Amino acid sequence: MSCKQASRLISQQEDFPLPGWKRLLLRLHLAACDGCTRFARQIAVLREAMARYRT
Amino acid sequence: MTPAEFATAAEAHRAYLMRVAVLQLRDRDTAADVVQDTLVAALAGQASFTGRSTLKTWLTGILKHKIVDAIRQRQRQPVALATLGDELDLDDFDSLFNDRGAWDEPPADWGDPESALGRGQFISILDLCLDRLPPNTARVFVMREVMELESDEICKELAITANNLWVILYRARMSLRMCLEQNGFTGAA
Repeated sequence: MSCKQASRLISQQEDFPLPGWKRLLLRLHLAACDGCTRFARQIAVLREAMARYRT
Repeated sequence: MTPAEFATAAEAHRAYLMRVAVLQLRDRDTAADVVQDTLVAALAGQASFTGRSTLKTWLTGILKHKIVDAIRQRQRQPVALATLGDELDLDDFDSLFNDRGAWDEPPADWGDPESALGRGQFISILDLCLDRLPPNTARVFVMREVMELESDEICKELAITANNLWVILYRARMSLRMCLEQNGFTGAA
């Protein structure tokens, strides 16, 4: 899995459940990739930011 | 809270409600009408505000229904795929990755949400960045992240496929994170 693919899945899983095997592959990628781990955290911050925006 | 106090408290959220409505409806006049209807409904329904959520959240809930009604009155204009055009383009973000698909520049460390959002001004930077989203993208992103509609509800409402939806939301998030970083929202402690 490339970072490009991982970034798409990280976004996708916010809105659609990922099939088990994709989740696993993503987990494996994240375990080995600092960049994507940081990206996932950015997406989490963005989500939290929107939650605060609406409350 | 007296009706007058409640009215004042609700009115204080008018600007926020307008921002959300304009992002969704794109037409300021319709947005203004919808916000007005929302505030009127809120005042009439003061008794049903239990305080279990914040006033802002409660108002957002009313706004969501008024927006949906407004969209339906416009014949629920499904987003014609032809108008989505560039907003379905995944290639725009290819430049962030090298030819092996790895990050060209690794994303910055924003830290955990609590500390990241504790740094001042993030709402105004976020506002700026939301404004920069192209219209359909903004609409979809707001439906998901502010109105908190489920993915299938959004697809049904806008007559788009799940595939369209993930692409649009991916683009929105990629654009927003880039914009946030460019406008000073970094992981720098």
